[in-house]
Amino acid sequence: MNDSIKHPSSAIAPLSTAWLILVALTLISPFLGQWLHGAGWLQLLVAGIVWVKGWLIARQFIEIELTHPFIRRVMQGFILFTPVMLLLTVFLGNHFARWATL
Amino acid sequence: MTSLAIPLNQAPAETVSKGRVPGNKGIWVGICCEFVEFIVLFVVYFVARAHFPDAFEQGADRLSRLSGTVITLLMVTSSFFIACSVATMRAGQQRRSLYWLIAGLIVSLGYPIAKYFEIQWNLAHGINGESGIFFTVYYYLTFNHLVHATWGILGILWVLARHLFGGYSPEDYAGLEALACYWHATDIIWLVIFSFFYVLA
Repeated sequence: MNDSIKHPSSAIAPLSTAWLILVALTLISPFLGQWLHGAGWLQLLVAGIVWVKGWLIARQFIEIELTHPFIRRVMQGFILFTPVMLLLTVFLGNHFARWATL
Repeated sequence: MTSLAIPLNQAPAETVSKGRVPGNKGIWVGICCEFVEFIVLFVVYFVARAHFPDAFEQGADRLSRLSGTVITLLMVTSSFFIACSVATMRAGQQRRSLYWLIAGLIVSLGYPIAKYFEIQWNLAHGINGESGIFFTVYYYLTFNHLVHATWGILGILWVLARHLFGGYSPEDYAGLEALACYWHATDIIWLVIFSFFYVLA
């Protein structure tokens, strides 16, 4: 038997820490939209926050580090999809619109 | 005649070395389908945003940021409570696990209630599905998410009923964990929607 295999956690403390960070990021986000209205790097910041929040839930609540590689890749891919698309829309919006025109 | 007992929660060595499947395989088929559906909807958002950047820059200012923030807090908090329900079940604290699940259900019920008030607020401010491309996409995505969240809430009720009758134990809690995974995935999707419509102005 391999003792180095990680087992699912039964600790509440890491879940609480993740929840507090999620709440803090949620409460900050609407003000970011108001404070940085029109600033180009708001999109960059929001893309980063979306990724961090998704990663926190996947890592702490779903424990993707312990999951089958397929599930891990699906989760990582989905969490990364939106921030990448946000940045592509900001920096290559015109090209994207032209490409997506019927 | 001899009998062979196989522990319910002990995966074969090969499966353990590859990683575990939280909950069950069926729920992950559902979660993958949910992700594909929302990726298609997000592409609709990005195409509309690329074509009408001004409408999307101005649209968020007309929505109730308070509603969006409240729904997000309800989603992450219910997700946290349900994760605690799974963790306490693993620790053998079945009674605590039940209380966490009940707390998760109560908080999750706040989502449709907050949504109802948000829609009332929208209509009072003249915002409906025909108020422009931003609001059409907003209603399309948020209503779709509400449908998925409603399935999740029904799932919580089912798991709660099983939990009340002792359907889960520290050795076998796959149903509880499957429900938790679905709710966490639905939570991640909402966090994206929140940034799309309530944060990015």
